[in-house]
Amino acid sequence: MIKYKNLVKSFGTRTVLKGIDLHIKAGEIVFILGTSGTGKSVLLKNTVGLLRPDSGEIWIDGENVSGYSEEQFLSIRKKCGMVFQHPALFDSLTIYENIAYGLRKHFSMAENEIERRVEQALSLVNLDNILSKRPGEISYGMQKRVSLARTVVLQPKVLLFDEPTTGLDPVTTNSINTLIQSLSRKLNTTSMVVSHDMQCALKIADHIVVLDQGQVVDQGTPKQLLESEVPLVRDFLEEARNQ
Amino acid sequence: MIGVVPRFFYRLGQIMMFLGDVLKTLWHRPCRLELVLEQVWYVTLQSFPTTAMAGFFVGGIMTVQFAMQVNEFGAAAYLGGLSTSATFREVGPMLIAFMLSGKVGAFTSAELGTMKVTEQIDAIRCLGADPIQEVILPRFLGIIISSFFLLTGGLMLSVVGGATLGVLFAGINPQEYVRHIPTIMGWPSILSGIVKCLSYALVLATICTYMGYFTTGGAKGVGRAVVSTSVLTMVTIVVFDWGTSFLGQLMLSWFAIG
Ligand SMILES: Nc1ncnc2c1ncn2[C@@H]1O[C@H](COP(=O)(O)OP(=O)(O)OP(=O)(O)O)[C@@H](O)[C@H]1O
Ligand SMILES: [Mg+2]
Repeated sequence: MIKYKNLVKSFGTRTVLKGIDLHIKAGEIVFILGTSGTGKSVLLKNTVGLLRPDSGEIWIDGENVSGYSEEQFLSIRKKCGMVFQHPALFDSLTIYENIAYGLRKHFSMAENEIERRVEQALSLVNLDNILSKRPGEISYGMQKRVSLARTVVLQPKVLLFDEPTTGLDPVTTNSINTLIQSLSRKLNTTSMVVSHDMQCALKIADHIVVLDQGQVVDQGTPKQLLESEVPLVRDFLEEARNQ
Repeated sequence: MIGVVPRFFYRLGQIMMFLGDVLKTLWHRPCRLELVLEQVWYVTLQSFPTTAMAGFFVGGIMTVQFAMQVNEFGAAAYLGGLSTSATFREVGPMLIAFMLSGKVGAFTSAELGTMKVTEQIDAIRCLGADPIQEVILPRFLGIIISSFFLLTGGLMLSVVGGATLGVLFAGINPQEYVRHIPTIMGWPSILSGIVKCLSYALVLATICTYMGYFTTGGAKGVGRAVVSTSVLTMVTIVVFDWGTSFLGQLMLSWFAIG
């Protein structure tokens, strides 16, 4: 589904991604783990063309998107929804308009269909009665869930989550992980989840990738990862066991 | 130190390219008119008191300055004309534009910068829209239109301020102050004032939207963007002021010869 070939990205003199080679299979849930600042967000942003790589290739659904223009990326962004690390909601719009935004821009859809989809998406993230509120009036955790709904409502084939559960309570974290799992099982959505949470990665991931300083240091199924000899992976496992 | 000059031109080039993008978007995919009007309304309302006050006192200061010299030559009747002309041609537009760069410019770059670092701009792109069309263009046009109104409004008030302080400090009655304004203030002065207001509005709108749109580096980055906006706007306006004065002189001398 998604293939990265020797992906390199630098900012100024700092090379953030130093040759990433990865293969994400269709329908899989892939967790990307790594310490802060290793370039996880940069990797996701390169995938949907928000940042452009310096060299290397990205293949999505058999298309090499590396040299795509902003217009060509439109169809990719319809197919690959991204949930950002920040809630990134638009302050001047109501929650309803926030969630409907992508439906209005990407598709031309009847208003009652939009309404139906927005309500459905909100109930997926366990929220209701906030449609007419503004982002400033709801809590951070709720904003993050609305942001998730805003992407899920587009029903993309690929979902890229940038730390969807960071800063949320354990109950909501659980329900979001279940949501990711059920989207992948029911709609055969491919998911890439950036996370720090090894415990939940072991629980729901089909494949785990560990990044360190812009490079893949280890990857494999949860079972294979448990046997890993790489020090960083062992640290993550240790942390997960202590929780 | 050596790097400063190339960096300035690099930045200038970047800003020009950004302006080109904005104008291209305006031409091919204009934004909705109500978004622009919303911005015009908002900016004008927000900044009118500041600019009005600045205009009033600039006019007043010029009058007080000229009053001393004019009285010495017994030409108090010309006070209104002299101070109004000087205000319109030079200090008025510039000082009011400085005020606006601190107010409208800082506000807009902070707003856009925050949208950038909290990934809202990225989200707009991901959701299938063009941030230049949706966010930048309404603000860009809104700032140009409202700054122009604010600048000309401020200049009008500078006449009022001049007349008021003329009464208080030079003992000239208001009718007398106003009577000789047309004698000294020809069309060139008014035209120069208008051209300056327009070009400063353009400078302000371009720089603050550019700085906001290209903010990186979290909250600190937003702070940097705001400071750079104010500084760069003021420096560019001073340079523009010199440029337009120079060009204005050149054109006047051509007309005089021709
Ligand atoms: N637009 C940008 N301009 C310059 N540097 C950037 C930009 N985006 C990211 N970086 C740098 O790239 C590095 C990796 O950033 P990234 O956001 O991908 O980290 P991360 O792995 O997502 O970390 P975290 O878990 O904290 O989110 C950081 O050092 C950051 O400063
Ligand atoms: Mg990140």
